[in-house]
Amino acid sequence: MEFKKHILDNGLAVIGEVNPFAKSAAVGFFVRTGSRDEDKIISGVSHFLEHMTFKGTDKLGPLDVNKAFDDTGAQFNAFTSEENTVYYSAVLPEYLEDVTKLWIELGRPSLRDEDFNMEKNVIKEEIAMYEDTPTFDVIDRARSLYFDTHPCGNSILGTRETIDAMSAEQMRVYHQNRYSPNNITLVFAGNFDFDKMLKLASDACSAWQYSQAERKITDYPGKAQTKRIEKQNLVREHICLISPAVSMQDERRFAASLLANIIGDSTGSRYYWALVDKALAEVATMQCESMDGTGAYYSYIRCDRGSTQKVLRKVKILLEDLTNSGIEEDELDKAKNKILSALVLHNEVPMGRLVTVGFNWVYLKQYRTTHQDVEDIKSVTVEDVNTLIRELKPGNFTQYSLGPAR
Amino acid sequence: MVILGEPMEAVESAAFDFLLPAGASRLPDGCCGAANIISDWIFRGAGELDSRQLSDALDSLGLHRSVGVGTNFLSIGAALENENLSTALELYTKIINEPKLTNKQFELSKQLALAAVMSLDDDPRKKVMLKLRENFYPEPLGISTVGNLDNINSLTPDKTRQLAKDNFNLTGAIFSLAGKYDFDAVCKQMEKLFDTNAKQPVDSIPLGNKGQKYTHIHNDGAQVHIGMMTETVRPADEQYYNTRMAVSVLSGGMSARLFTEVREKRGLCYAVGAKYHGLKDAAGIACYAGTVPDCAQQTLDVIKEQFDKLAEGIDADEIKRAKAGLKSVLIMSSESSASRASAIASDFYLLERVRSLDEIKEKIEQTSVESVTDFLKSNKFKDYTIVTIGPKQVIVE
Repeated sequence: MEFKKHILDNGLAVIGEVNPFAKSAAVGFFVRTGSRDEDKIISGVSHFLEHMTFKGTDKLGPLDVNKAFDDTGAQFNAFTSEENTVYYSAVLPEYLEDVTKLWIELGRPSLRDEDFNMEKNVIKEEIAMYEDTPTFDVIDRARSLYFDTHPCGNSILGTRETIDAMSAEQMRVYHQNRYSPNNITLVFAGNFDFDKMLKLASDACSAWQYSQAERKITDYPGKAQTKRIEKQNLVREHICLISPAVSMQDERRFAASLLANIIGDSTGSRYYWALVDKALAEVATMQCESMDGTGAYYSYIRCDRGSTQKVLRKVKILLEDLTNSGIEEDELDKAKNKILSALVLHNEVPMGRLVTVGFNWVYLKQYRTTHQDVEDIKSVTVEDVNTLIRELKPGNFTQYSLGPAR
Repeated sequence: MVILGEPMEAVESAAFDFLLPAGASRLPDGCCGAANIISDWIFRGAGELDSRQLSDALDSLGLHRSVGVGTNFLSIGAALENENLSTALELYTKIINEPKLTNKQFELSKQLALAAVMSLDDDPRKKVMLKLRENFYPEPLGISTVGNLDNINSLTPDKTRQLAKDNFNLTGAIFSLAGKYDFDAVCKQMEKLFDTNAKQPVDSIPLGNKGQKYTHIHNDGAQVHIGMMTETVRPADEQYYNTRMAVSVLSGGMSARLFTEVREKRGLCYAVGAKYHGLKDAAGIACYAGTVPDCAQQTLDVIKEQFDKLAEGIDADEIKRAKAGLKSVLIMSSESSASRASAIASDFYLLERVRSLDEIKEKIEQTSVESVTDFLKSNKFKDYTIVTIGPKQVIVE
C-alpha cells in the first residue's frame, strides 16, 4: 500500500491509497458539510443538495448522468450526515477514469428549478419512509433532543415544511459557500494510477472558486432529558439513549469505541447478557459516534411495551455498576478481538479503505495505515477505558422513546 | 456433507458457512418459526460449554457470526482472521453436533422468536416482502422465515429439540469456505470433527397451493408499501442469464426503467426496485415501492406498465449497461471472503456445482438484445401477486 497526496492551489486535497493487487478501485468526494452547517430556514438542504447533484450540469441532464454511471457498471451512491456529504463509487479499474470525470463534472451541478421541484417529491417520500421506520425515527428524534440548540441536533432530512419552502436559489447559495475546494477531499483507494487521477482533478477542478467554508466547532454534553411519544400504529417500544463520547480529533477515540463494544455489541456485551440473553429486549446495541469536535454514544433498544420499565431499570443498574467498578481485562480483550477482525474485514475491500482513508483526512489531516489503527487499538488499557467512563458518565443519558399508546 | 472451498489470494480473512437442511419450508406444518428458535437456542451452550462460555469462546476469536433462516436451510457461519479458523471450526462443530438445548434456554429463545414476529409490524417494508413471498410461492416455499405467533406459542422444548435433531441432517448439509486457508487441512479436520458414516436421505418437499393474488394489510403509517412479484425461470434454467439481464434492464442501476419512470420522471417514490429471487423449485421477480397513499395507485400502475412493456423492445445500450453492472457486482463481490463463501454454497445447492467467475462472465457476455427479448416474448409476465401495507388499498385488475 502506498499513500499519495497533493493539494491544489485552491485548497482541494487529492489523496489516495494505492493497492496494485486489488481487483477494483474506489473514488469519492468527501465534502465537509452537513445538517450542522445549515440554519433553520434551509433545514435539510445538505441532503437535498446531495440528491440534486445527480441531476447534472448544463452539459448532462439527469437521465444522462444515470446512464453515464451505469455505463461504467459502478456501484455508486452518496450519503449525508450531520457533518459530511460523501459521494462514492467502486468500479473495475478500467472504468475509474470515466467515473472520476463524471464526479468531477457533478462537483459543479446546474441545480435547475425544474429538477429541484420534481425532486422535492422524492425528498418528501424519503421523509415519509423514515417515519415508517421507527428504528431510524427514534434515533433522529433523540439526537435533536440530546443536542438541543447545538447544530448537531439539526435534522438531516429537514421537514416537509422546510423542504416545501426552500428555493433552488437558496440551495445554489449554499452550494457556492459550502462546496468550496478547500472544503472538499477527493479520495481514491484500490488499484489505480495516482498521477493520472491527479491530472484529471487538477485540469478540471483548479478553476473551482474558493470561498470561506467555516464551521463553528463546539462540544456539547447534552441535557439528559427524557421524552416519549406515542404512535397508534406501533407495536413495540423503541428506545434511544444518548450520552457524551469523544470527538474524532481525540486520541482516546479507540478507547471510546471499545467501551461501546463492551457495553453494547450485538453479542457477548453487557447489554446482551442483561437484556437480549434474558429475552427482555430483542435488540440492545450501543455505538460510539465520534464527530467533529464532539461525540456521542447512541444506544438503541427494542422491547415489549410492558417490559420497558424493567429494561430501563436494568440499563441504569448496568451503567451504574460500570461507573463504580469499571471494566474487566477479559471483556476488553474480547472487544479488541472483535473490533480488530472487523477492521481487517472492512479494509480488505477498496470501498472500505476509501471511507477510512477519507475520514482520517477530513478529520485529522492524516494518513493512517491499517497497521497503525491496529496498534492503537491493541495499546488501549483497562485504565484508559475506566478513566473515560469516569469522565463521560454513560449513565447520564438523554432518553427518547417511541411506542404504542399506553 | 459436501465441503466446498475457494481460495482467495488477496485477503487475510477466511469465511465459512454451514448450510443445514432445517430451513423454514423443511419443517412440518404448525412449526413456522421453529427454525428461528433453533438458530438462537443452539448458541446457548454446546458440548462442555455453557451459554456464556460458548459466547466468550466465539468472541475471543473475534469472529463475526452470521445466522440466517432461509427457505431451505438454516445457515450458520462466520468471517474471521484466518489463523483462528481451526479453533472456530471446532466450536461450530460442537454447536451443530452437541448443542445443549436446555428447557430453560428454550423459553428465552422462544420469547425472542415471538418478539421478532411482533417487530415485523413496526417494519412494514420487511413485512410486505415476507407476505409477498408467502402468497407468491406454492406452499410451503414461501413460508415466513421469521415465524408465526400461534405456531411459536404452541412449540415445546421436546418438540423443537426433535425438529433440530431430525433436520440437522449432515447428509444434506453443505459446508463452504472462502479466503485464505489450507483446503486439505480443513478437509482433514472436518473428517475428524464430523466422524460419522450414517447417511440419511433428504426428502424433497411436496408443493401445495399458492396464496391470494392480492392482500392488503391496514396500517396507519405514512406510506403504502407495495410488493409485487411475478414468475420467471429458475436458477438452473438455461434462460437464467436472460432473465437476470431483463431484471437489470428494469432495475439494475439508476438509469434502469423503474427508477427512471417511477422516481426520476414522476417523483412518485424514494425507494423503488426489483430483484430476481430464485429458489431451487420456483423463482420470481420481486418488486418493492413505498409511496404516500395518494400516489400508491399510480405507482403500481406505472410499475406494471414497465413490466408489461419490457418484451416490446430493449435498446442495445440498455443491454450494454446491464452487462457492465452485472459483471462489476460479480467481480467486486469476489473481493470479499464472506460473499464468496455464501455464493459457492448457494451455487452448489441450486445447480449441484459451483460456477467459476469466468463462466458467469462469459454467460453474461453471451446474452444479447435478441436473446433477452426472445426470452421475454416467450415468457410473458402474467399473474402478478401483490401485497400492500398502509393506510390505503390499491385496485388490482
